Amino acid sequence: MEADELIRDYIGRLEAASWPLPPDRRAELVGEVREHIETALAEAGRRDAVTVHNVLERLGRPEEIVSSEADVEPGPPRWVDARLADAAVSIPAWGGLEIAAVLLLTVGAVLLPLFGPALGLVLVWLSTRWTTREKVIASVIVVVIFVLPVLGLLAVDGTAGASSS
Amino acid sequence: MDIDLIRVLLPLAAIAAAIFLVVALARRRR
Repeated sequence: MEADELIRDYIGRLEAASWPLPPDRRAELVGEVREHIETALAEAGRRDAVTVHNVLERLGRPEEIVSSEADVEPGPPRWVDARLADAAVSIPAWGGLEIAAVLLLTVGAVLLPLFGPALGLVLVWLSTRWTTREKVIASVIVVVIFVLPVLGLLAVDGTAGASSS
Repeated sequence: MDIDLIRVLLPLAAIAAAIFLVVALARRRR
């Protein structure tokens, strides 16, 4: 493989490996690496295949360069998240599941005691529109306002019953 | 155990949770 062909192949692999980076950072990184290669070759004073091969070997694999970028995190890249967030604006906030959940938690709590709110909370957890944090907070609200006082009363009843017998 | 208390507390708890969820969705839309 010729020297320039080796460099092109390396840069191609770097571009392919750097997909998780934001486009501007990706171009910047490729530019930096290209410049580094040219500087190293200028310092070596030769541009044959063996010198290029040695320079590229010292740089490391393109995948390693990309993964050593501090802001690369596992999962989809942040700029993809930002685009998804923009797209999410066009998705209606309320789906059938969310409406049913809120109805069961409000009207259902009055018309179908216990069953309504329980099913409502199940629907809340099935929904993808609320974050896990919001689902946890909603569940905690129900537990704190309803379950804890009821448990407290049951405990009081239990001790009252035990002391009266 | 006062059954009336359950009748009051349960809807109250569920409605409070529902209000929180509605507000959470509404805030995200803004």
